[in-house]
Formats: sequence, structure tokens, C-alpha cells
Amino acid sequence: MTRILLRNKLDDCIAAWRSAGFSVLAPVKRHEMSSFGEVQKSSDMALDLVLTERTIKDQFFPQTEPLIKYKIGKHQIDSETMTPPEQKRVFFGVRPCDASGLAIDDPLFGWDYKDDYWFRRRDNSVIVTIACAQADDFCMCTSVKLSPDSAKGADVLLRPLLEGSGWQIEVLSERGKALLEIVSSLLLEGNGHTFPLPQVAEKFDVEKVMEWLADPASFESQFWKDIALRCVGCGSCTFLCPTCHCFDIQDEGDTYQGIRRKNWDSCSFANFTMHTSGHNPRNTQSTRWRQRIMHKFNYYQGKFGVNSCTGCGRCTRQCPVDMGITETLQAITNLPR
Amino acid sequence: MIYSPFPMRVVSKRAEAPGVNTLKLEFVREEDHEFFKQNYKTGMFGLYGIFGEGESTFCVASPETRKEYIECTFRQSGRVTSTLANVDAGDIVTFRGPYGNRFPIEEFEGKNLLFIAGGIALPPTRSVIWSCLDQREKYRDVTIVYGARTVADLVYKNELDEWKKRDDVRLVLTVDPGGETPDWQDHVGFVPTVLEQAAPSPENTIAVLCGPPIMIKFTLAALQKLGFTAENVYTTLENRMKCGVGKCGRCNVGSVYICKEGPVFTAAEVQAMPQADL
Repeated sequence: MTRILLRNKLDDCIAAWRSAGFSVLAPVKRHEMSSFGEVQKSSDMALDLVLTERTIKDQFFPQTEPLIKYKIGKHQIDSETMTPPEQKRVFFGVRPCDASGLAIDDPLFGWDYKDDYWFRRRDNSVIVTIACAQADDFCMCTSVKLSPDSAKGADVLLRPLLEGSGWQIEVLSERGKALLEIVSSLLLEGNGHTFPLPQVAEKFDVEKVMEWLADPASFESQFWKDIALRCVGCGSCTFLCPTCHCFDIQDEGDTYQGIRRKNWDSCSFANFTMHTSGHNPRNTQSTRWRQRIMHKFNYYQGKFGVNSCTGCGRCTRQCPVDMGITETLQAITNLPR
Repeated sequence: MIYSPFPMRVVSKRAEAPGVNTLKLEFVREEDHEFFKQNYKTGMFGLYGIFGEGESTFCVASPETRKEYIECTFRQSGRVTSTLANVDAGDIVTFRGPYGNRFPIEEFEGKNLLFIAGGIALPPTRSVIWSCLDQREKYRDVTIVYGARTVADLVYKNELDEWKKRDDVRLVLTVDPGGETPDWQDHVGFVPTVLEQAAPSPENTIAVLCGPPIMIKFTLAALQKLGFTAENVYTTLENRMKCGVGKCGRCNVGSVYICKEGPVFTAAEVQAMPQADL
């Protein structure tokens, strides 16, 4: 027998989790842009969005992260390491593509050197995914072998019930089990009719794409110059990507004090790889776009056995010149072989 | 925590060449020193920094046989290096590392060694040179070919004199045409040409080659002409880095992360990388 969470019990669940010491974060519409934010009650949530504009990544790998606070005195410099708070968090209403992104980035932040900033937040978070009831023209999870009800990266998977009254629960981890334990008296036992999954058409053939990228001859193909011609290098697609993880480390402050910060950076930017000598290995937009595609669908696969794309489609949805990864991968799929 | 550096005290600063300085640094905390002693091998790099300015990546120029201090040699060019160039003895700077892989010098034992460096690339080479010279009995003939644009641009001048005087080291010095002074006694010419004239034997020899990309390119061709195979030539690559530990995403050449899989590679490994990404 499976269990059901009714929508009218959601406020009680939020209250129970909060009194158990959790912060509850969910999709919210704030500052004219949807993102994940802390909520007090269910009416704060924007659960009916196809997808938040900003990704859940922001909550684990913030746009700017203080690493070290320093004070520069006349005779000495004092510094203090800064750490993210040990706050337990529930993420409610995460889309499968966003939850997958977290699982995809885990090995990167963990190989050899463990990024404490990422893992402290990961270890203190419980991910409650809600399977999609709707998709838009940009969604492409099925093209990267995920689905609107993918459980990847989730501790609990909820499937919306047909009548909109709540969700059917699937527990996926110990952490998820413990979270539901807190609200067990609020859950119903039973099986409901779940909403049919939306049809997400396959937009490209990822096997064909990977095969073409793996061919050393493709690296210097004219294809890259043609396809990247209208990229303005704004970096939006990287900032809105649930798996893009590139960053810079900068000291920001005045003459006497400041903070060393880990800030988002982007492979789209010309400065990203510029040497001190002025030599730049990726000195044109096309070489930078090639890096982005290669990294996601070849290098990352080679290192960690998974592609660094969840098919959320934000890169295309938000691109100011209507470009995005989808078009490139479609074009690669259709190349004559 | 992962991006927290070790505080280091500046012991001394030595001017090497116009705009080039060497800092000798000692550990402030004993546990940091212990960590370094256990982990440092020649070829590894670090991020040197100063709060308020940031961090810059360069090699550890001191050998793995001398781990009391860290020496680093750098050209003053940006915000961080300009500030580092102006520190005084007693000042505190920072070090993060040692990161990356190493020159496998125990595999070089029983072999002849040929070191080739150009300009500011002597520091990484010097770390390997001293690591081997400090255990001189383990290696056979040692040849060092070093060139710079001008006489003034040669770094580690005291050590060059020392190597010149040793009868168990063959030192071949050169400056680019036009870079010589009236009293210059050594070669005048580019490194690849001078190397070909010196004609070291490739027989049972490992070459360690560091320099700017253009010099590497022509020197590799010269080595090939002399009969060296790409598997027996080692080099060290430098790319822009921020984290040093395979996360910030910028130093890769093709799929190879320079910070983790490098910075030390054989010429064969470098040739297997996509050349357009170098």
C-alpha cells in the first residue's frame, strides 16, 4: 500500500518540518523571477510552474559564496574561514531535471578534493521531487535519457493525483524516509489515480551526438564556427544551467578588509581561459561554445560516466539570441555521415 | 576547508631578472609544513596569494629534496604578482597546494638527463634539476641547456655559475641573437639550434623540456631530429587556474584537466591532446 500526501495537509507538513528544525524551500515567484526560496506556508509556493526560471543549483552553489574574511592591518593580516550554515533543509517541489543536476554535479565536487561548501549543503538537504504534469516546447529531458518522473537525485518522488488533490508518495532513500516519518500522521494510505506524464518529444539523438563528438576530426570542424556565429557570449545559459559549475575566486573589498569569494564564472567569457601572457587557448566564441558542448557530452561522460545535461531546456528558453544547446545537438544529429 | 590557504612567512626576496623575483617562504604553522613535507613531489604546483589581491598559480621552484622552505619565482605582470613582488621579509603571504602530478624521477634513475629550459621556465625545471642533483649518484650524465632573450633575463645566475663549475654537470647557456653583452662567453642563438649543436645522445636519456609554447614546438622538432622519442620527453603545461583541484572548469585541454592529470606530461601525451585547445 502506498501513501498519499493531500494538498490540504501541506501547511501542516510545512509546520511539522519547520518545528523539526528544517527550513522548507520551494518554487517561489519573487523579484519578477521564479526560483527556489524559503516558504512558511503552501500559498507561498508556486508549484504549478513548468519549471522555475532559476535552478535549484543556486541553493547549493550560490552565485557568490564567501570563503574567507580578511582584515589587513599595519603589521599583520587576519583571516577567518567562512562556512555555510549547518541548516537542515527540505526542498519541496523540485522538478526531476533539477534534482538530477545535483546528482550529476556530486562526483565533480567530490573527486579527490571534497568541496565542503557543496557537500555541507548537500548533506543537510532532503530533495522532494514532484513529477511533471506539464511540459513546454523547450523541455528535452527525454532526449538525454531522463523523464518527467525521473527519480534521479531525489529522496522522495511525488506524483500528482489526477484530481489535483495531492500526490502519491514514493520513498527513495533513508533521508526521505526520515523526512516522512516526521509527518506520518498527516499522510493517507491508499492508491490514487496519478496524472498522466506529459509527452516530451525527443529533440535529438544523444547517441549520435556523442559518437560525432568523440571523433577527433570533429574538433576542428567548420560546424563549430557556423553554429556559434550568433552567440553573444552573455553566459546566461551557463548561469541558468542546473549542472554548470565553473567558478572564479576573487578578493572583494577595500584597502583594509574584504572577503575572498567563490563566484560563478562561465566558459562563454573570453577572460575565462586567458593566460597572463595574453595567450588565450579558447580565444573565439566558437571555441568556447565547442568547449561547452564537448564538456557536457564528451569530457564529463569520460570522467564521471554521465552527461552533464538534464534536459531542462533553460539554456534555450532564456537565450537572448534564441540559440541554446538543443539547436546545436539537433544540428549534430542531422549532420550527414 | 577546501579553499583555505596556508599562511607563509616571507624569509627573503631575490631579484632574478628585470621584473622577475624569487620568494623564499616558510610555513607559519607546523601542521601545514608537515602536510607539505608528506605530499610535495617535484613538478607539483601551488596557488600563491595575498589577501586583498587574490591568488596566482605557479610551480614550486624548490626541489623535493629540500622541503624546509618553498621557493617560487615569478614575473611581475598582474595584480597578484605585482603585490607579491613588493613584499618584504617577515610579511605574510599564502600558499595553497601542493597540487597536481609530478616528474617521475625515480623512473629516471640510471639514465642520462637532459634539461632544456627557456626564459622564465627555468624555475619548474630547476626543481627537477636539484631533486636529481641532490641524489647525483642515481643518475648518469646530466646536461642542462638554458636560454633567455638577453643576458639580463637569465634567472638563478648564482646557480648557473655553480652548475658551470661542477664537473658532473654539462651546462649549455645561450641568449637570443642581439641579447648578448660584450663580455658574454657562451652561445648566441635560439635554444633549438644550440641544442642541435650540443647534440646530446638520445641513448638511455630522458629529456625535461620547459618553455614558452613556441620554443617547445621547435625544440621538440630538434629533439626528434636528435633521435628522442616523444615518450622520453617530459614537459609541464600551464593554464589559467582558479581552484587547482579540478572544479573551476577552465584549465582543461580537451578532456585533460591540467591541474589534476598534469601539469607534468610526456610529449607523447601532449601530442595526443587536441592541439587547437592548447
